[in-house]
Parts: sequence; C-alpha cells; structure tokens
Amino acid sequence: MEKILDKKQVDAWVAALTDWEVHAPVLEDGIWAYQPVSGAVRLNHPNTKQSPKGFAFPQREIFFSFEQIKGEPPKLTQIMPQAARHAVFGVRPCDGRGVPRMDKVFTDHVDDPYYNARRKNVAYVGLACNKPPSPNCFCLSVGGSPVSTDGLDVQLTDMGDRYFVKAVTETGKTMMAAASSLFAEPSAADKKQLKQIHADAVAHPQRKINDPDGAPAKLEASFDSPLWEEMARACIGCGICTFLCPTCHCFDINDEVQNKAPLKGQRVRTWDNCQFPDFTMHSSGHNPRENTAARLRQRVNHKFQYFHKNFGMHQCTGCGRCVSECPVGIDIVTVVNKVTENVG
Amino acid sequence: MINIQDIRDTAKDMLAKGEVRAVIGYRRGSRGMPAEPAFITNPEQAEELVWDPTCFHNLSLYLVEDRKFLAHLNKTSDAPIAIIAKGCDARSIVVLLQEHYFKREDVYIIGVSCEGTGVVDERKLAPHLNGFQATKAVFDGDDFVFTTAEGEKRLPAREVMADRCLECRNPFPKENNVVFGEDRTGRELAEPFAALARFEAQGTGERWDFWSHHFDRCIRCFACRSVCPMCYCDECVVDSITFPVTPATTAEEKANRIRWIERSATRSENITYLMTRAMHLAGRCTDCGECERACPVNVPIRLLNNKMEREAREKFGFEPGASVGGPSLVASFLDSDPGDFIR
Repeated sequence: MEKILDKKQVDAWVAALTDWEVHAPVLEDGIWAYQPVSGAVRLNHPNTKQSPKGFAFPQREIFFSFEQIKGEPPKLTQIMPQAARHAVFGVRPCDGRGVPRMDKVFTDHVDDPYYNARRKNVAYVGLACNKPPSPNCFCLSVGGSPVSTDGLDVQLTDMGDRYFVKAVTETGKTMMAAASSLFAEPSAADKKQLKQIHADAVAHPQRKINDPDGAPAKLEASFDSPLWEEMARACIGCGICTFLCPTCHCFDINDEVQNKAPLKGQRVRTWDNCQFPDFTMHSSGHNPRENTAARLRQRVNHKFQYFHKNFGMHQCTGCGRCVSECPVGIDIVTVVNKVTENVG
Repeated sequence: MINIQDIRDTAKDMLAKGEVRAVIGYRRGSRGMPAEPAFITNPEQAEELVWDPTCFHNLSLYLVEDRKFLAHLNKTSDAPIAIIAKGCDARSIVVLLQEHYFKREDVYIIGVSCEGTGVVDERKLAPHLNGFQATKAVFDGDDFVFTTAEGEKRLPAREVMADRCLECRNPFPKENNVVFGEDRTGRELAEPFAALARFEAQGTGERWDFWSHHFDRCIRCFACRSVCPMCYCDECVVDSITFPVTPATTAEEKANRIRWIERSATRSENITYLMTRAMHLAGRCTDCGECERACPVNVPIRLLNNKMEREAREKFGFEPGASVGGPSLVASFLDSDPGDFIR
C-alpha cells in the first residue's frame, strides 16, 4: 500500500490511531528522546540519543514477585508486561534494522515471553534518511540503506510538504486504514520523485567499513592481535556504546529484596554491559575479559563475528551512536578497518 | 597564544632523550571535530599532537590507569610519564599527589594555559551551526573558529564555552614542569558558582522536581564515574561485586555480599549512586566538567559536585588541588574550622 500524506495531516492521523499510544522523538533536556505524544508530531529529528530497543526490551523488566513467610513455601507471582500498544514514529532505518536482530535473539533463538509480549504490541513507523542525520552514519557498509524498510511497519519518506507513506506489514496497512480519508493516491510524478529521493539518499557519502564481508574471518584471525590493546588505550570502560546501541541485548537478572522478614521482593532483568568490569567476572574470581582491550574486542567481535556466525548477518546496523557518543573517541568504523587491514 | 609546534618539539625532545616513557596528549580523532586522547611513545608521533577548543578530556585519568596497570604487573615506573594538563587537569593531578596515588617524580606536567578561553561545549555550539556539524575548531584570541560544510564560523568563545570554563578562576596550571601560554588567573568571564547560584535561587519544591526529573533519566552507564580521575577505587559500591573475589573467597561470602545499590536504573538507586559519588568528590573535584560532558542524557551532574566544592570553600576555605604540599580536605583540621553543624 502506497499513499501520499500531507504533512499537515500527520497530527490527524496520529489522533485517529486510537488503539495505539503514539511515541515520537521530542527534544527535551537537549537530547532527542521518544516520548508519548498526542497531536503535534514533528519528525524533524536527526536520530534519537537512545535507540527504540527499549519498547520491546526495557532497561528494567520485572519477571515475577516473591514472598515467603518463614517456614512456609515461597509464593511466586509472574508479572507479565501490561504494555499498551505502542506506535513508534520517526524510527530511522538503522534502528528499524535493529528490530529483526533483536527478534533473532528473543523470538527465533528462544521464545522470551516478556520480550514477545511487548514486541507484538509495538509498531515502528519509520522515516527514511534523505541525507545521513549523523556524520558517523555507515548503514551502507553493513548491508543497510538509508531507505531500508527492514523491521518497519510503515515507511515515511519526506517529500517537502508531504510524506510518501508505504505500508510494509499488515499492521502498517491497518494503521493507515484507521484514517484512510487522510491519504491520497500517489501520482506517477510522486512515484518518480520518491525514486529520485531514494536514489539521492543512497548516493550520499557516509563513513565506510572497507571490508564488511571479510570482517568475520579477519576478526577471528585477529583475536590475539596487539591492536586491541592499542585501540582500547583511551577506553574508560563506561557503558555508553552498548546502552545506546540498537542491537546490544545482554542482560543481568537479580532478585531485588524489598523486605527481609517476611521475605518480599521481585526478580528483575536489567540491561547489562560487556564494557563493565564485572560483566564476565566468574564466581571463582577469574575474569576472562579482564581489561578494556579484551572488552572492546568482545563488543566488536559480537557485532561483526559471533552474531554473524549465529545468524548470518552483522549485528551492527551502522547508526553511529557508539562512535558519536564515546567520550574518548573510540570509533568502531576505524577499529574494524584497522583490524581487517592488518590481516592479509 | 600557544603554538602547538612548541609542545610537539618539547614532547619529541623528551621522548628522544628517554626522559619520559610516554606523552599523554591530544590528537585529531577519526569522527569529526573532537580531539581524542593520544599516547605518544616515539618521537615522530609527537607531530600528531594538537591543541584546540575540543581538548576537553582530563587526561590525568590515564595516570591513574597507568598506575593500576603497573600495579597489576607488579612493576614500578622506570621513567616519568609526561601529560598535557590544563588548569583544572593540573589541579586533579595535585589532588592525586596529595592522596599519594603516585609520586611527583612519576609525572612530568606539560601545562597548557586556557588563557582567555577554555573548551567548547558541543551542546551550546549546535544551535549556532544551522544543523551542520563542525569538523574542526581552533583558538583565535578570544574567539573560536569552526569549520563546517558551510564554511568557517567565528564565534566569541564565551558564547559556546562550557559553563565550568566561564566560571573558572584558575585557567593556568600552576603545578607544572613546563608551561605554555599566558597566565590569565583571575580573569572574570562569569561569577564562580554562577550556574549553581542560578539553580539555588529556586524554591525547594522546584529543586526537588528538577532533580527527580533528572534522577529518573539517568541510565547508569557510569560514564561520569569512568571518566573521572578521582573515581579510582578498586571497589565501587555500585558494582555487583564490591569486593575482590579471590580463590579463597568462600561461597557464603559471595552469597552474602552486600548490595548497596540495585542494578535497576530507578530513581532511588540513581539517587544513591549520584549522591554517593558527589560526597566522595567533596574537596577532591576540581571542576574539570568531564562527568557532565560525558553524560549521554545530559544529567547536570556538575551542579552536585559544584555544591560540594562550594561547601568546602565556604566552610573551610578549602580549594581542591591548590598545592602539592597542602593537605586534602578530609585529612586536615584547623581550630578555626566551624563546628556549628555538630549537634
């Protein structure tokens, strides 16, 4: 389904999505973040600071609550997400491509009930990138494209005062059907213009990973390379790169005790982070990823080797967040290029 | 005005003579405007060094890292490390020296004066660039000149400088082995603690709402802790294991570990984390501003640290990092110290 939507009608469309809680990027506290919106949706953001992965995989998820009176058996109560249906507007194509990568882990590889309960209630309304929103974009290097529809339910393309609106999934069609009178049929000229915009978008220069296809084998061959130590020299071991990443999904599970007697608390899952020193700490005291070099290597290999081996695709979608937001200039594009160039 | 070539020549000379084993400075990054930390070990590499308004990093952090690394290898330093330090960075080094983290002879301080300016705040800069990204920034007197795809953009430095630089009274690194640039100590660009005073002019309710909002927003990436040269503890209360586990640690000890703070990035846990950190920085923070710059979600962390800094100044006349021979705040006592808070 392909339609034309006047930009003045976007708010009316959002208002017609009564089955959905609509979220869109809002500039607040100096950063772009997805916020619930009613009416006034202005998709004039570059990309959001945090990826939209939290809609299906929130930073904190309660699994169940527990209670125990001394001498009695414990009582467990599963707590399933009672999330509303979320329609997320303005998702950039790189973040769209993050969605099937998260699905690989939490839907295909295992059936994670918490993730999937949320996931089936999220729709992603994407916005194609007519030009790269960040100087550190590199989606074209990792099999993506600024006009990719992967992971999206609807794709919007900015055509000046109008959007070209394309339904990608059945959910997307339903969302458009909720306000069908607002949409117009595209003319032949509109389709021609769309083609031109998309062609220009793809032709726009980006940062480049030189040998993405060779990366898995070359990374495997570089496990013991002294380059890791050199490249991680400035790394401070914070969690920015992975927390902002659209595909980093490692987590930790803890029991949070609220009351000791009678025992009462919750088992929660929180995002974890391979850059933290305690991430791989064994109970023996041994830590197989004991320094920043080993941890940088871990993250880059997960993106460009391990995930590729498991699922046949790079995990990185080229959004450039980890590059732009690193406080000390660690740059995954440079890192992958250096390692691959160092192997014959 | 600092000529970077002078700094490069100094670094090159010291490395060639083997007087230092490395020079920690700044070089061009691969991702646009910001400089990045550089670890120079051979004389030719010294040509990579840069000095511009994006040299925000407080490199003294890497002296701490180096010390930890040597300790891990059971080694001692065989030659000093040279480090490029601004006024605030040099004061951090002094605090570390006061705390005996390393010895004065282990470090060779190449001081750089911020003269009449300081470093750029990228958040303040963005609105001036019409949506373009700067690829380069240079000092020019009291201005910064930025290069974008649109051409050159000249801005008075004070319009886009970090608040902490505007409020800085000591842009000259007094503790140094060699220093570049003019001493402009006492320059008046803004009142010290001006941002804090503006914040505190509000009522209690507004301040609580402000902090509740920001404590809710913290994602606990720990960039503020990781980037801070003062956060060097081997055991930190926020980590899931707060004591070193060895083969001798029993299962019971591990199971009964105290968790001061849960992993959940919720308000109560975030308050505990950020307030604990602020308290531990009292009398130690030199307002280098790195925690606030590194924060990906713009939590105004500097206000917390600034508050503690002002308390130390007003109550005890204490200035962190003032002199190597001076005491640290918590290790000093004067008969004239106010005791009115003891009840």
